[in-house]
Amino acid sequence: MRVLRRLVLVWLAALWAGGAMAQGTISDLPRKETLIAENPEGTIKNPGWFNIWAINAGGQSTGLQQLAMDTFWYIDPEHGVDGVWDNSLAAEKPIYNADFTEMTVKLRQGIYWSDGVPFSADDVVYTVQTHLKNNGLRWSAPIQVNVAAIDSPNPYTVVFKLKKPNSRFHALFTVRWNAMWIMPKHVFEKAADPGKFDFNPPVVLGAYTLHSFDPNGKWFIWHRRADWQRTTIGRFGQPGPTYVAYIDPGPPDKRVIAQMNHDLDIIHDTSPEGMFTLAKQSKTSHGWFSGFPYAHPDPTLPAVIFNDQLEVFKNRDVRWALALLIDIKAVSMASYRGAATISAIGVPPTGTTPTYYHEPLEAWLRDFEIDTGTRKFKPYDPGTGAAIAAMLRPSMGDQIPTDPAKIAAAFGRGWWKHDTQAATELLQKAGFSKRGDAWYTPDGKPFVIHVTVEGDGRPVMTRAGSMIAQEWRQFGIDASTTVAQGTMADRRAAGDFEAMIAWSVETWGGHPDLSYFLDSWHSQFVAAPGQPQPPRNWQRWSNPDLDKIIEETRSVAFDDPKGIELGRDYLKLVAREMPTIPLMSYNVFTVMDETYWTGYPNAETAPYTDPVPNWGNTRYMMTKLKPQP
Amino acid sequence: MPGYLAYFVRRLGQFALVVFIGVNIAFFVTHATPIDPVEQTISAATSFGSTSPEAIAQMRQSLRELYGLQGGLLEQYAVFWKRVAVFDFGPSLSAFPTPVSVLIGRALPWTIGLLFVSTVLAWVLGNLLGGLAGYYRNSRLLRLAGVLVMGFHPIPYYIVAFVLLILFGYVWPVLPISGGSQMNLAQGFDFRFIVSVLQHAILPALSLVLVGIGGWFMGMRALVSNIVTEDYVTYAELGGVNRPRILLSYVMRNALAPQITGLAMSLGGIFNGAIITEQVFGYPGIGSLLVDAVHAGDYSLVLGVTSVSIVAVSAAVLLVDLLYPLLDPRVKVH
Repeated sequence: MRVLRRLVLVWLAALWAGGAMAQGTISDLPRKETLIAENPEGTIKNPGWFNIWAINAGGQSTGLQQLAMDTFWYIDPEHGVDGVWDNSLAAEKPIYNADFTEMTVKLRQGIYWSDGVPFSADDVVYTVQTHLKNNGLRWSAPIQVNVAAIDSPNPYTVVFKLKKPNSRFHALFTVRWNAMWIMPKHVFEKAADPGKFDFNPPVVLGAYTLHSFDPNGKWFIWHRRADWQRTTIGRFGQPGPTYVAYIDPGPPDKRVIAQMNHDLDIIHDTSPEGMFTLAKQSKTSHGWFSGFPYAHPDPTLPAVIFNDQLEVFKNRDVRWALALLIDIKAVSMASYRGAATISAIGVPPTGTTPTYYHEPLEAWLRDFEIDTGTRKFKPYDPGTGAAIAAMLRPSMGDQIPTDPAKIAAAFGRGWWKHDTQAATELLQKAGFSKRGDAWYTPDGKPFVIHVTVEGDGRPVMTRAGSMIAQEWRQFGIDASTTVAQGTMADRRAAGDFEAMIAWSVETWGGHPDLSYFLDSWHSQFVAAPGQPQPPRNWQRWSNPDLDKIIEETRSVAFDDPKGIELGRDYLKLVAREMPTIPLMSYNVFTVMDETYWTGYPNAETAPYTDPVPNWGNTRYMMTKLKPQP
Repeated sequence: MPGYLAYFVRRLGQFALVVFIGVNIAFFVTHATPIDPVEQTISAATSFGSTSPEAIAQMRQSLRELYGLQGGLLEQYAVFWKRVAVFDFGPSLSAFPTPVSVLIGRALPWTIGLLFVSTVLAWVLGNLLGGLAGYYRNSRLLRLAGVLVMGFHPIPYYIVAFVLLILFGYVWPVLPISGGSQMNLAQGFDFRFIVSVLQHAILPALSLVLVGIGGWFMGMRALVSNIVTEDYVTYAELGGVNRPRILLSYVMRNALAPQITGLAMSLGGIFNGAIITEQVFGYPGIGSLLVDAVHAGDYSLVLGVTSVSIVAVSAAVLLVDLLYPLLDPRVKVH
């Protein structure tokens, strides 16, 4: 008994001692000068590896691409600090010759590597030639496919000679999340094998150098350079944080706890429930939107992606019928608990895309008709976004905007009507029949659809897929979900799916050019059944009209307004053909804590970049953040 | 002695056979995974950045060559055993070209440290409490302790872990909830780092001890309950030997034999890692390494971690089998 009592006393003493010796979040660094952000890559297996040019050898979003790397241009997914386009290492925009077989880049002067060596054309030439000579580096393949030679007529000009016309070759060096970064020639030329060199510590062009890192891969700390003015973001002023730490805070619940304890300034993403908890309980936490839906809409468009090479999905009437069976309000509630930004058309409703595409096409969508075989039917419901807002208002109160423009920005505009009668007519037109409660294909087989979802890896999208399968099943289609979990990438590439919840559309966000994803949809890239499909035409859809749009886009310059017209032609085409069913933007619940920092981007007053901290564009946020007084 | 030598050689042979079969099974199972590390790499490399479909086919080919994935399964099998013979599992496919042994070497000390301490602590506390409860059957305090200990036992581990996380990380935030040590603290054998490691280990260790203690408690209590009815115990009590001495020297000492076997098996099992513990508390052990490797289709790393586990568990069993005849005269070798 004495033993027992002693044990209990020892235990309590240990607990007290633990509390008394509780350490701060970060050792030997001033918390008020340190920004702590989540790295969504989690724990890095190979933390001492900073050679970002070796494919997937180490972490990228550890702060390495956000704070340390640099390249010619950045396109912001939102509005940009000084416009969406930023000339970074380049002094001007790319200069193409008439037939897009040559691209000249004038380089910015006065930029220095962190070890004091000046940046020049030699670094660019070295980077490109290294990728030409070595297979297996991250950008070896696109460089070898496109570049015939590179030349530098002077220390601040490089000329790329291309193997074939490519009006968007500059996209390789234009950051939209990442891009091909420039290597330090004076460091890498000493390495025996650029693919096996760990580049530790990294010599950088960015405003931050590596301060320290966890040998077990949980955290990376970066320190602002004393000579930050000699970097490309020096034009925008001194970056606020002296130190920036990227950490692995663990599962979504722990991220919420960490922020409520003010140990995590920026959550990269959490669950909708986690966001709502923070919105209710933490006065200093806020999302991209100050109210519902809080989340930042990524320039990515989750959709129901059909395998259009399968016989059952070749008929667009079938695809349209399945679209009309979806009640997007229910899908929004099931997936994001209502915090979704819907899109009926084939681009995500984010950045400047609503201005160039969603608004101008609204009139066309309202008048758009499909032939159900029985009648002409107008499938577009312009009030769906407002309907979702109305559904949420009783429980969320003044968190839900009332202004139509704000509702459109937060929840989206219209979507396709949920009309089972029209769906029935379309399926019958396609030769399907209903016997009892079940639908049958034209050849008399049960109409079965397996909707592939990612499972725990992407719970929000899994919930969306489950709701869609349920809605189809209620109609009489034998629909169910198949969880791919870790095999999603393999199955997607192999075409081993019938329908899946994923995305094949990603846009720049800030720039209206759609070739970022659309070029890959040309029929020349569609793989034969059973062969691996290259990104991003996962639906394996071929259409001669689409090919014409893509080929014409290739022939016009990046900033040519003709590109926007062609983009609208694409949207009208995919609305008619419905190769995929667009759902919503990929909403990211990035949450920012203002306990230590102010100046974060937001939708209402400061949309200068997106707040999601794993983007290369995050570096612009550093110039706006200031410590709380 | 000659009998023991023959037994030793036989058991060693069995150990080698078990390891060989186990590693072979691990090889074929991991290579049967539908997750292709090349597709995973391509997906990770292209999921955000700009892609050129023409470049993807070239990238795929380059990666197959880089990762050494050309050649059939038997060819890869032969290469695998050539490497394993010199304790080399090859490069990790998801952290290429870092050797698998380096990744395991980084993570293993954390797993061993946490699980060794937790296992021993749970064993000591469980056996102590179980022994006391089995001997002093009328003690209300010990009965209460027994109820508490057994109350935790059936609770799923992840629930205990999350409750502790919320209690001590949020409601009363006195303990760190993530990582192996404080951020920006250099690793080394100095006071600050050791204190930090101990602090960060409190919650994960506590969760493991709370859940693990019940099994040892029940086992020891049952054993002691049997032994107290033995004649020599009754004789000692009648002879006036004091009760604590009887408990320690007569009762628990005899009851410990099977518990020591269990401890040895459990210690061997620590090389499996504690996946849920590491995921919940962000502890940098081999459990998390294994989960990441499975998701990435990195079968070199999966194979490396699994092989270490197979060897460790088999070695623990071997050690127990070899030591038992030497320690307990009642055990005869044939």
